[in-house]
Amino acid sequence: MNMVHIPSHLREVEAYMKDRIGLGTSFDLGVRKIDVRKKQIHLYYTNGLNDNHMITELLKEIVQINEDERLLTKIEKVIENRIVIQSVEKVSTMDEVVDQLLSGLVVLFIEGEREALIIDVRSYPGRQPEEPDTEKVVRGSRDGFVENIIMNTSLIRRRIRDERLRFELLKVGERSKTDVAIAYLRDVANTNLLHIIRKEMKQIEIDGLTMADKMIEEFLVKQGYNPFPLVRYTERADVAATHLLEGHVLIIVDTSPSVIIAPTTYFHHVQHAEEYRQSAAVGTLIRWTRFFGIWISLFLLPLWYLFVLEPDLLPKTIDYIGPKEESHVPVFVQLILADIGIEFLRIAAIHTPAPLSTAMGIIAAVLIGEIAVEVGLFISEIILYISVSAIGTFSTPSYELSVANKIARVFLLIFVAIFHVPGFIVGTTLLLLYLASIRSLNTPYLWPLIPFRWRAFMQILVRRSTPGAKIRPSIVQPRNKYKQKT
Amino acid sequence: MSQRKLEEQTREKSLSVVTSSAITGFFGGAFWGTLGFLANVFHFTDIHPNVILEPWSLGDWKTGWIGTTLSIFFLGLFGIVAAYIYYFTLKKFENFWVGIFYGLALFLFVFFILNPLFPSLNPITELTKNTIITTLCLFVLFGVFIGYSISYDYHEMLREKGQAMEGKGEE
Repeated sequence: MNMVHIPSHLREVEAYMKDRIGLGTSFDLGVRKIDVRKKQIHLYYTNGLNDNHMITELLKEIVQINEDERLLTKIEKVIENRIVIQSVEKVSTMDEVVDQLLSGLVVLFIEGEREALIIDVRSYPGRQPEEPDTEKVVRGSRDGFVENIIMNTSLIRRRIRDERLRFELLKVGERSKTDVAIAYLRDVANTNLLHIIRKEMKQIEIDGLTMADKMIEEFLVKQGYNPFPLVRYTERADVAATHLLEGHVLIIVDTSPSVIIAPTTYFHHVQHAEEYRQSAAVGTLIRWTRFFGIWISLFLLPLWYLFVLEPDLLPKTIDYIGPKEESHVPVFVQLILADIGIEFLRIAAIHTPAPLSTAMGIIAAVLIGEIAVEVGLFISEIILYISVSAIGTFSTPSYELSVANKIARVFLLIFVAIFHVPGFIVGTTLLLLYLASIRSLNTPYLWPLIPFRWRAFMQILVRRSTPGAKIRPSIVQPRNKYKQKT
Repeated sequence: MSQRKLEEQTREKSLSVVTSSAITGFFGGAFWGTLGFLANVFHFTDIHPNVILEPWSLGDWKTGWIGTTLSIFFLGLFGIVAAYIYYFTLKKFENFWVGIFYGLALFLFVFFILNPLFPSLNPITELTKNTIITTLCLFVLFGVFIGYSISYDYHEMLREKGQAMEGKGEE
């Protein structure tokens, strides 16, 4: 692409703006023309993306030049000096001007000059940091990421004032030109991983990143139809900072309040910040309970259904399990129907306003469940197990993982329905083998279980107390293995 | 970073592939053995882990929970042996399928060659379909567990060695 240099006449600049970015057609673009010492000055701006007060201050200072300065002085030097804003940049091509102008910076042209001044007075519409809905904790910081990349990087910088922390900025998207930042610690993060991420990002060819980080993720890990989440998202600045210190790389995308943590394994999705805000013992207990919940959400229904099909399998002590009453509907159909019912509820709850969803919950829990049993559609045991496994699903800290587990559960149910015991065993084996075979960004997905790493595995099982955890997890292949000595 | 420290790390590492294989083997044997025990509780397989104690004549406690714990411990030891066999023959292959085939081979070895050692273990032709499938799956998973872990460790060690060499030039 050949660059267009800035013409020396402002008339030509204006004509170019009209032609290229639609000045005069688009109502959000504007130009302010003023005369300073008989020289014309144009100030181009985009409405709504900048701070009006700062622009007013800027214009005041420039107009003041007419009174204060002598005629002889070099006017462009004076103007540059008079700009009362810290971030000013000189550019010489129109392409740069257009890029910056549309990001919300204002551009100042002076008649006869081949360079333009770009002044950063950006102020984007957005909200203040608040606690993210998906990752709440009882104690701990409540400032979550927001849709503004600058705010997000500053939330991280506030936690890590290390001079070795890097935020590399890229622009992705032919039309959207979205800002994407790669955050890492220079002396810790694995260079290979960084290399891969940079390479993949530069290869992205897309119009725009309207779904922000999710779209980046799909380019990065090439997930296909694999339902299991290959990267972890977080909206918590403290979680993001912790992972940076462990040697992970973060990808922050403008317009999204969640950041990508890479590389990620299955077991990253079963941990939660809450465990680290409690004492080590309590954290461990919470974690085990959570593991149990996740396990339940996957295996309880298929296992129970298997015992319904073949009651002989049950050990003597628990042989009361299984339906007593007869039902007109086959158990398998009941299970699938009930599961779909729960899914209806979940999907509906996402876009139902809070006051209505309370009402919806009551209808669902009390009415549907009880009446379905009375009518004879469902047997009561089904309601119990479906509910327990649904609660197990909700106790999965990663939303993405809970949905993937749900798919795996249906897959196991179908296997059990067709092949009974071999279906359950082979299905589970295939699931495990499949998970173990996944590699995302060169990282085995089931690490540290397969491949097995005793030390790292114990850190998954037991939440270590902070002074005891001295070594960075080897999965990120850090350049510096040891956390700093105290 | 000082050279000395890097060297220390690599030495520590190359030593630990041997020890970590042992840990992996033991944990693998015990872990999949425990799952096998659970599978036996739910009658997925007729084989109880404590068939491994059969060659020795012991007291009645052999069939109780002490016997089960002990047999899971023995399965762990068996796992160490399996891990070392893999380590000395197949560690170079960082391929998923190698683990699966290793598991299959172990299964065939136990059920065809070691079979006479365990009197209560029926010949494979007399086992039920469920028993064969469950046991086979456990062996395959065990094989992948051992194989993938050891190969990954070995290759990671090589990678770290390579990086340490480069690192000396860089810093």
